Amino acid sequence: MDFGTLLHTISSITPDRPWGIDIPNYFWFTGSSAAAFIISSFAHVFGMKEYKPIAGFSLLLAFVLLVAAPMNLIDDLRQPGRIMNFFFYGWENFPTSPMKWGVLLLIAYPLLILVEALVLYRPYFGFSKGVVRNKEQQEKDHHLGVLLGAIGIPLALSVHGYTGYILGAVHAIPLFHTPLMPILFLASAMVSGTGLLIILLPIFQKFFTDFKRIDMAMMQRLARLLSWFVVIDLVIRFFWLTFAITFNNEEKYALKLFFGENFWEVLIVDYVICLIVPMIIGFTNYFARSFKWILFGGILSAIGVWIFRWNTVIGGQSIGKTTPFLLEYHPHLTGFDSILSVLANWSLLIALVALVMVIFPWDKEMANYYVTKEER
Amino acid sequence: MDEKESKQGRRGFVKKTTALLGAAVLAAPSAKAISLTNPGRESGDARYIGQEGKRFGMVIDLRKCVGCQACVSACKSENKIPKEKFRTYVPEYELGSYPNVHKAFLPQLCNHCAEPSCVSVCPTGATFARKDGIVVVDSEVCWGCGYCINACPYDKRYFNPVTNVADKCTLCAHRIDHGLLPACVESCVGGARISGDLNDPNSAVSKLLSMYPTTVLKPSSGTKPRVFYIALSGEIQGLPYSPKVLDDMARKIDGMTAREWSSKGE
Repeated sequence: MDFGTLLHTISSITPDRPWGIDIPNYFWFTGSSAAAFIISSFAHVFGMKEYKPIAGFSLLLAFVLLVAAPMNLIDDLRQPGRIMNFFFYGWENFPTSPMKWGVLLLIAYPLLILVEALVLYRPYFGFSKGVVRNKEQQEKDHHLGVLLGAIGIPLALSVHGYTGYILGAVHAIPLFHTPLMPILFLASAMVSGTGLLIILLPIFQKFFTDFKRIDMAMMQRLARLLSWFVVIDLVIRFFWLTFAITFNNEEKYALKLFFGENFWEVLIVDYVICLIVPMIIGFTNYFARSFKWILFGGILSAIGVWIFRWNTVIGGQSIGKTTPFLLEYHPHLTGFDSILSVLANWSLLIALVALVMVIFPWDKEMANYYVTKEER
Repeated sequence: MDEKESKQGRRGFVKKTTALLGAAVLAAPSAKAISLTNPGRESGDARYIGQEGKRFGMVIDLRKCVGCQACVSACKSENKIPKEKFRTYVPEYELGSYPNVHKAFLPQLCNHCAEPSCVSVCPTGATFARKDGIVVVDSEVCWGCGYCINACPYDKRYFNPVTNVADKCTLCAHRIDHGLLPACVESCVGGARISGDLNDPNSAVSKLLSMYPTTVLKPSSGTKPRVFYIALSGEIQGLPYSPKVLDDMARKIDGMTAREWSSKGE
């Protein structure tokens, strides 16, 4: 079918598109949460000592992100008051509705992180005062932490992988429809989660600890890690796009139209500026020596993954199924599923981060790795 | 109480509380509240079950369609479809290139697919196929997540701004169940729309299907549509992705292109 021989003249209606700005935000939150959890497991489960100092901090971050994330989903619903129907009805669709898997995942995962954080910080909490935890008990706690972390890894991968599955299962939308979507989402999640840690860690180390020092070696480690995650992300995107645009059935025409029209936003902004630039920063000694460059790379990658989520969710829906050309999306400023709701969600995240960081003695635990006993 | 005892007491308390809480969570919604389907189907409501043994579908004979849009307006008034929403509509195409051109009309409605991709993704069981194949939405159960709207390859679902949930063509199930024809079929001036029971070999639709070569829209989507077309041009069968065209002039004047979602074409 050649373009130009067909004119869609009158009464082409504007079809409905259900998912707005909340959904890319939700994907960004769950993805960053999964990544923060995995990075915390580097130390907790895989015993990588160099990540020990930030293991607790990123575990708390993972928890907070996942508590705030589902609010986006509720806000995107047209009937949020009927949320219980999600839990009560329609269980026969469980095998075929990836969204339904969220019932289990979105409850199990934050609970598990919370329990793991409580176990990890048990020795530091006030309530263990008087009951001095002996070596044996500490050992027991450690084993419990490893076990919870080991259960948590597949759970963290699932909690974000299933969101990619939700999109990948939609064969009506060529940009969503690829079995690579879940792992593509995971790879980009690792990028945004690491980027977020690069942004938050120095702020918290500098201003909210007693030792008030930024661990530059850790920043460099994270920048290098970020670069590797970008490599993985780009490799998966390479396989996705080369197959989807070149060796595909009629879906390739829609994708060519989409990527042609959005060349600047997708290829230049997302791929080059927000992925390749941070990758170069992390891999190059010249840039990775500088705290400012690392921070810059972290910010770029975190924003870049948000843009990728946007391009995927909004861009996918912009492709016409029965109508000509592409649709355009203009998010509302206020009301449900609006720019204001996303800002409100971020405010909630910041409030929760503050609350959790006040409640949990993360700074005392982190100080163990930076301050000698004599200094304390 | 020494330390050990107090600890056991505390542990016992925690255990008991957890057990109680768990039991409460499980028992709170009565056993009936958790359902594989939804309350309407569980109770065997006739509107949810439909006419067992039948399989409704439609044949659209495009040779007879004149693009008068009577079906569109009949549908809108019969089903009280809100402004700017459509369960059925008839886009027009100009095919060929000058000087050899012709117009084509393509009446579209929900295909009531045998393998509906909208139904399988529904997380609340609000949308389902009746036993006679008609795909419907329970507007009391649907929570408006929109997954079905994205899953439909034919753009035949929308959010109803009155009920605030997903809505779609019901093949006028309320009429069919009383022995009437769907409003679009009833009002079709050219007799292009013919509906009936595909399981009945003597029905008008079955006869047309056996008499003429027919096809469906986007067969590659694998949804097995149950709306068949006679004389459907191959150029528009896949509802192809087309370039910017002049279809939005009127909507632009109405200011509709500035809505949350709008067509980019002008």
